[in-house]
Amino acid sequence: MNAQLRRTFYLFVAGFVALVGMLAYWQVYAKESLATDPANSLQSRRVQEVPRGLILAGDGETELARSEQNDSGSYTRIYPEGPLYAGVTGYWSTRYGASGIEIGQNNNLSGAGEPETLDELINQVSGGPQAGNDVELTLDPELQRTAYDSLASSSTGRGSVVALNPKSGEILSLVSYPSYDPNNIDEKFPELAKDPNNPLLNRATQGLYPPGSVFKVITAAAALKAGMKPSDKFKDNGTYETPGYTVYNYKGRSYGDVTFEQALENSINTVFARIANENVGAKPLAQTAEDFGYYDPYKDFPLPITPSVLGPPPEQWDQGNIAQIAFGQQTVSSNVFEMALVAGAIANGGTMMEPRLVREVRSPDGAIIDKPTPRVRNKVVDADTAQTLNDMMQKVVTQVETEIVIPGVKVAGKTGTAEAPGDEIHSWFIAFAPADDPEIAVAVLVENGQEGYKQAAPIARRMIESYLKSQGKLPEERPSPPPKPAQSQNEQTTPSNQPAQPKNQAPFQFPFQNPFQNPSQNPNQNPGQNPAQAPGQNPAQAPGQNPAQVPGQRPPGG
Amino acid sequence: MTQRAALPMAIALLITTLGFAALIFVQEAKSPPLIYGAYYAGTMVVLYLGVRLWLPHSDVLLLPIVTLLTGVGLVTIYRLTYGVPGIENLATTQAGWILVGSGALVFVVLFFRNYHKLFAYKYLLALAAVGFVASTFTPLGYEVNGARLWLQIGPASFQPSEFARIALVIFFAGYLAEKRDLWAATSRSFMGVQLPALKYFGPVALVWAASLGLLVFEKDLGSSLLFFAVPVLMLYAATGRIAYVILGTLLFALGSFATYLAFSHVQLRVTSWLDPWSDPHDSGFQITQSIFNIADGGLTGTGLGEGFSQTIPEVQTDFIFSTIASELGLLGATALLLAFLVFVYRGIKIALLAEDDASKLLAFGLAAMFAMQTLIIVGGVTKAIPLTGITLPFVSYGGSSVVGNFILTGLLLVVSEKAGKRVVEEAPGYRNSEKVP
Repeated sequence: MNAQLRRTFYLFVAGFVALVGMLAYWQVYAKESLATDPANSLQSRRVQEVPRGLILAGDGETELARSEQNDSGSYTRIYPEGPLYAGVTGYWSTRYGASGIEIGQNNNLSGAGEPETLDELINQVSGGPQAGNDVELTLDPELQRTAYDSLASSSTGRGSVVALNPKSGEILSLVSYPSYDPNNIDEKFPELAKDPNNPLLNRATQGLYPPGSVFKVITAAAALKAGMKPSDKFKDNGTYETPGYTVYNYKGRSYGDVTFEQALENSINTVFARIANENVGAKPLAQTAEDFGYYDPYKDFPLPITPSVLGPPPEQWDQGNIAQIAFGQQTVSSNVFEMALVAGAIANGGTMMEPRLVREVRSPDGAIIDKPTPRVRNKVVDADTAQTLNDMMQKVVTQVETEIVIPGVKVAGKTGTAEAPGDEIHSWFIAFAPADDPEIAVAVLVENGQEGYKQAAPIARRMIESYLKSQGKLPEERPSPPPKPAQSQNEQTTPSNQPAQPKNQAPFQFPFQNPFQNPSQNPNQNPGQNPAQAPGQNPAQAPGQNPAQVPGQRPPGG
Repeated sequence: MTQRAALPMAIALLITTLGFAALIFVQEAKSPPLIYGAYYAGTMVVLYLGVRLWLPHSDVLLLPIVTLLTGVGLVTIYRLTYGVPGIENLATTQAGWILVGSGALVFVVLFFRNYHKLFAYKYLLALAAVGFVASTFTPLGYEVNGARLWLQIGPASFQPSEFARIALVIFFAGYLAEKRDLWAATSRSFMGVQLPALKYFGPVALVWAASLGLLVFEKDLGSSLLFFAVPVLMLYAATGRIAYVILGTLLFALGSFATYLAFSHVQLRVTSWLDPWSDPHDSGFQITQSIFNIADGGLTGTGLGEGFSQTIPEVQTDFIFSTIASELGLLGATALLLAFLVFVYRGIKIALLAEDDASKLLAFGLAAMFAMQTLIIVGGVTKAIPLTGITLPFVSYGGSSVVGNFILTGLLLVVSEKAGKRVVEEAPGYRNSEKVP
């Protein structure tokens, strides 16, 4: 019997060894990843006993988060800007864990990281409270506000805007709407978690949407790399047949003889389906998308990124898949952040900069602890290809999507009208400007916002105007738009109405106009919008002028 | 057999004292009246001296381990409850249970030194065990957290299954020692595995049914697993036939799967084991909080009183190991697990040295139960296996559990006394025979 007893004992020993192994796994191997788990509130409890560092906007002054001591001696987190920056700062809850920069930069903010200065070392060794470091972000407060207000007044009030500096990779604004107030997260969390509009979802970084036609920029890049020229000719009869799937153009249009360039301008699905199948092929298309950042979780970025994907691996694509992926449908899904980086890479001569959200980390006494410098992420396409794409995207704006023409500034852009299965179509726009020396690249998504030009493009234009104006790059005197019948009337109406318009009301008028828009009205809409940039006017007020074009729709207060 | 363990006793008491000192002086915890500490230390020392006196040949090393485990348990319970309104006296209550348990141990040592007479009443004990567990279905029983395993008699409430377990081990030890040869005999083989006659599977079927009954009616997954695994291991030890283990495991898997399909609370346990992260605020809350706290401890722990394991519901009972792992780290938790393993090792050693089959099986069964209970609950709180609500022996808060484990220790001591005596009596003769030219 003793043999069995011994064997069973070895079994028990093995069990205990396995338990120690399990403990080691949690306590050593998985320790870091668990400490930053969104559901883990232990770090926020610990740091309630010491002040966390400030989170500051890119101007170095606007406080996005600070710790205030209450009567009992512990600290509470205050977010002076409330929902405006919630998508970036995240929340810091003792019950529900933390998100955003609060957790992504926790090592800096909590002061629990490695001591960086002598004072910190002494503090840490003596066990005294160690205040956290301050984190300054790259966000531009004015641009963030513009993006937020624009999304708030969009037709569906659900969407996202990401803007960045293509040369440095600095994120200038990152907004997800609807947002939430991180100040009272402990009370509101259960309610927010159940909200059908999903305010806790960061649509910019973790929302995946079919990109629709904005993806054609990537297909075009792949085509140029494959040796195509913008002047290559195609004949479009409205359909493109593959075994098992037929591609139609949007609204069943047919364009006849077109060049590759015009195919991008008019966003012709059939031509792109043909190019992807006959000129590019599955693997080069997938490779180009990957070079642009698809499948990349951007591990170094402080916010978690849900990677954009193309669907199954390219080996498994048939012609029908390739045709639909070419114009960003079927299995393709992208986050808004990724599409801003795509625009940024083309703007920056084909070189994608590593996206950055943190400009500087300072100790409580002001010593600079970390100051990341711009870093090249990768060379997506060569400079010539990038310039060709840039020119093609400028023509998209000058030839077709004229609603985002900004007089005196060259704008490059691409609309997206993405079909979402069982849902209203999504409105996309990516753009950068000035096209000859880009300062800003932007991607806009309005969920279920109809065609790209309707909701997303005007927001992109407002973003560009707002930023270039603050940089002093928006020409003060602008050439008047080309004469059109409606124009003179509008020009007269606009200046007289403008002063009476309260600044903050302007964006809210936008939805009123929307139901009356349809594609056939589109060409008429443009001249009405252009005068919005009349000299001396705040670009942010631009939408407020739209009703001037259709005076009967102006709300009573306007 | 180790017959002197004064130094380990002193070390165990010193560790306990250090723990309390750290909480009282560093964490500035309000001290419970120091007299309780004196009671505790006095109880353990008197227990040690008493066992040395009454059972001079027994394996007394078990007592410093019991002292260490109960001491660490007291410190941890005190750390978790001292400032918490409503449960601030839990540590002193636990000290009281340790006193009761020590009394029970002394009772066993004094009145069951000739434990063989227990085997004469084995069927009665088995009946009593079943009746005891079933008594929770009388109006005296009540439910806690959805499991009906408590019995209220007058002011005292306790879990009958903690004691029924021990009775069952005594029954199986007596029964298997008697029928061992029958069970080891084979009548046919199936796929190369030799099987005994079908009728001898009766007892296996019985435990299987009893443990599933527990699972189904009492919703007590942990006890169910213990009630099943320990007899199967004893059956294996008695017969050396792995077929029993395989067959038993298959039957248990089958039963478990059926209950999984039939009962939503079992499904909930399994899903919250497989993927607690999908619902970290509700069904997965307890286990994710446990994992977060364990991970928070890292290699050396946060330090006593510096962790946040009070976020875990039921932390002072089922999840007390998470607190230890969190505040004492991987090193402290491993040290505690080693203490458990030493206890199991001593138990197996007693079984190896015991003379007759019944004594071997009794010591083995008790050690196996102790080991399985530790493995099941520590495995549960570390998410190695699905969580089942049982206590960590000697450490967790809980009167029935503490008293039950003291009785278990008492039984091991009386078995070791007999074995030790035999070893001592045989040893000089062995030496003498060597000297014969």
